[in-house]
Amino acid sequence: MEKQELIKKVNSVLAEEFEVEESIITPDANIKQTLELDSLSLVDMVALIENEFGVKIPSADLVKVQTFAALYDYLAERA
Amino acid sequence: MFQNEQIYQLIPQRPPIVMVDTLWSATESGAETGLTIDESNIFVQNGVMREAGLIEHIAQSAAAYAGYSTFSQGLPPKLGFIGEIKSCKIHTLPAVGSQLRTEIKLMAEAAGVTLIAAETHVADTLVAECQMKIFIKED
Repeated sequence: MEKQELIKKVNSVLAEEFEVEESIITPDANIKQTLELDSLSLVDMVALIENEFGVKIPSADLVKVQTFAALYDYLAERA
Repeated sequence: MFQNEQIYQLIPQRPPIVMVDTLWSATESGAETGLTIDESNIFVQNGVMREAGLIEHIAQSAAAYAGYSTFSQGLPPKLGFIGEIKSCKIHTLPAVGSQLRTEIKLMAEAAGVTLIAAETHVADTLVAECQMKIFIKED
């Protein structure tokens, strides 16, 4: 998948699942703050990413994936 | 396989609130557990296990699965708390004497929270299904 296509899909999937406007998802934005994720809903995002992109994000890696840009890069390397 | 009192090595609960009596199998992706419903079970009312008992059975099945992992590392079982239950359907209330068999699938883990999907059967009949988030308390 091309990276632009990946970015578009990530934004679309996350916006729909967490009921936010796609326009507020920007590369530098913090994922947890933008999607209003707490410790319980964070696991929903991990499950969604695995279902949609086939990429499992271990907890050790999750702490490094703070922004959407970091998430795009992480998935681009593995999807 | 862990059965009867061996299960105490995997879960922190003790009678009369032990709601899983067998761990049939466990892998990286999930586990299969069981419980034979005794008439003395505290969640039995009018000869059937109530909804709360089925949910507690699923939660303890997830705990047994987590406990198997810690047991393999030579550690005692950790306390787990139900963080959320969703997509829960109780299809029927199983009668005393029924043997519950529950399949736990690990869906995701993040920040100490584990998301599992569970299906409980009695023979070929689907009794209950749900997704559950379990928070495991670290020492």
